Amino acid sequence: MSDYILEARGLRKVYEEGPVTVEAVRDVSLLVKPGESIAIMGPSGSGKTTLLSMIGCILRPTQGEVIIDGRPVRWEEDNLSRVRLESIGFVFQSFNLFSALTALENVEVALDLRGSRGPESKRRAREMMEAVGLGDRIDFLPRDLSGGQKQRVSIARALVNRPPLILADEPTGNLDSKTGHAIIELLRDLVVKERRSVVVVTHDTRMIDLVHRVYRLEDGVLVS
Amino acid sequence: MPSIARKNLFHDRTRFAITLIGITFSVVLIFTTIGVYLGFMQDASFIVESIPADIWVTSKNLQNFNFAWPVSERKLEQVKEVKGVAEVQKMIHSWGVMKLFSGGTEQVEILGLDPEGPFGFPWHLAEGRPTDVKGGEFVIVDQSSVKRLGRLKVGDVREINDYRVKIVGLTHGLKSITTAPYVLTSYDTAALFNPYFREPVFILVRTVPGESVDEVAQRIREHVQNVDVYTQTGLSAKTRWYWTVATGMGMGFLLTAFVGFVVGMVVVSQTIYSSTIEHIREFGTLKAIGATNWTIYKIILEQAAINAVIGFIVGLGLVLLIKKGYDALGIAMLIPAPLMGAVSVLTLVMCLSASVVSIRKVRTLDPVMVFRV
Repeated sequence: MSDYILEARGLRKVYEEGPVTVEAVRDVSLLVKPGESIAIMGPSGSGKTTLLSMIGCILRPTQGEVIIDGRPVRWEEDNLSRVRLESIGFVFQSFNLFSALTALENVEVALDLRGSRGPESKRRAREMMEAVGLGDRIDFLPRDLSGGQKQRVSIARALVNRPPLILADEPTGNLDSKTGHAIIELLRDLVVKERRSVVVVTHDTRMIDLVHRVYRLEDGVLVS
Repeated sequence: MPSIARKNLFHDRTRFAITLIGITFSVVLIFTTIGVYLGFMQDASFIVESIPADIWVTSKNLQNFNFAWPVSERKLEQVKEVKGVAEVQKMIHSWGVMKLFSGGTEQVEILGLDPEGPFGFPWHLAEGRPTDVKGGEFVIVDQSSVKRLGRLKVGDVREINDYRVKIVGLTHGLKSITTAPYVLTSYDTAALFNPYFREPVFILVRTVPGESVDEVAQRIREHVQNVDVYTQTGLSAKTRWYWTVATGMGMGFLLTAFVGFVVGMVVVSQTIYSSTIEHIREFGTLKAIGATNWTIYKIILEQAAINAVIGFIVGLGLVLLIKKGYDALGIAMLIPAPLMGAVSVLTLVMCLSASVVSIRKVRTLDPVMVFRV
């Protein structure tokens, strides 16, 4: 059993756009222990999302290694799907909910992908909806929910399969200040309660007090 | 959890309706085209298939049933001599012109055979008896000929090729692919109408029970010179082949059915693709949270399959209504069970094929897109 839920070693990402080569992330290493939460901050274009995509097994690094829950990631499509499904929960800035599904069904999708169906699955999804404070909104479509409520559904979907690692990309980016604060607190409380590790990429300085460690990314380099 | 495919489909009702209209149009076009073609083919070989003769002997180099030419009456005796022949009957098929009550004229197809012969008049008579055509210049016409010949009833008198004839009966469901109404009469009366058709046009043969029809037909070919010899199925197939291939009618129908298929596929392809593009971010999200490409393919294919099933059912319902209309107009349109099965499979294939473009789009979808705002 590894001491770390996430180990990123020497990650580098180079984009080639015609004759121009852009090095978005340079030699980044990162360790996250179980139950630990970290924030990665930095200006736009600093490579935060690229880094998150690589540690989320969505974007293959040009160089370097990602180890999740003690297992080095093999960059093969089937394996990546499995790792994302079993080990990672995602919270997106744009929520990315399924517009035709109710809030509850949006949460059930994640369970369904893990092969969990039927009444037990529904019960688990309801529990999660109640945990994010939306027990009375389960039959609402995303269009009938506020931004904060949508992000709560997104958090419920990310946590419902109890993945050891939560990756959040600007979770408060599309929310007003008050709602954003409530979402941060909710995410923190659930992560603590469920003993998950979380990596948050954000501009939001309020996150500083809510995580164990804060990193700053500048021009693709992790500087602190 | 309800399927994402179903939810997506029913969520956007306008697109769903457009898709269904496209599929329904396609299904209706394919069904009506093939159904009417089958109806024509039924009409083309109706006489051949309704007379229970095992073998048909006729003039050399026959093109199809409707354009046969007389053979010498001596051939009748020669056919009788062949081993395996149990009974024979001569029949005339010729053409005539009927003077209408209004003063105009209309071409008719004349069928002359002895109603008391071995094969009789095997058609359904709505009024009169087959034997009523004997003993004079008496004819039976079909009820469906009302549009061409005007309203006729038993007892009416008309002229065919300058011979006054009396209507003594009415058949039901006797139609020719040439659209000329059939006139049934006795062999002797038919021989009067047209000087070129005084002798048998067909010699109908019933084989001895237990004899191979094909073998008896071969013996007739060897024994009787300068005639064509067909089994019942052979003549039926030749006639259908003539109308399908030689006239180009089959190609026309095939092309129309193909156009229906293509139109359906284009419409479904467009709507499924636009739906995929609209939900592309959701599919990207699915990929990001661990769904395989195949999981997303299944969503797209399920949408296509649901479209196909509902479109087919709606289309079939409409086709059955159209069929009633065709029946009222006297146009044969056949929708046999095998055609329903074939069109249902074709509709499914059409819709699933239409998903290919969407599937290609999803295959190359980069889930990194989910991080873009």
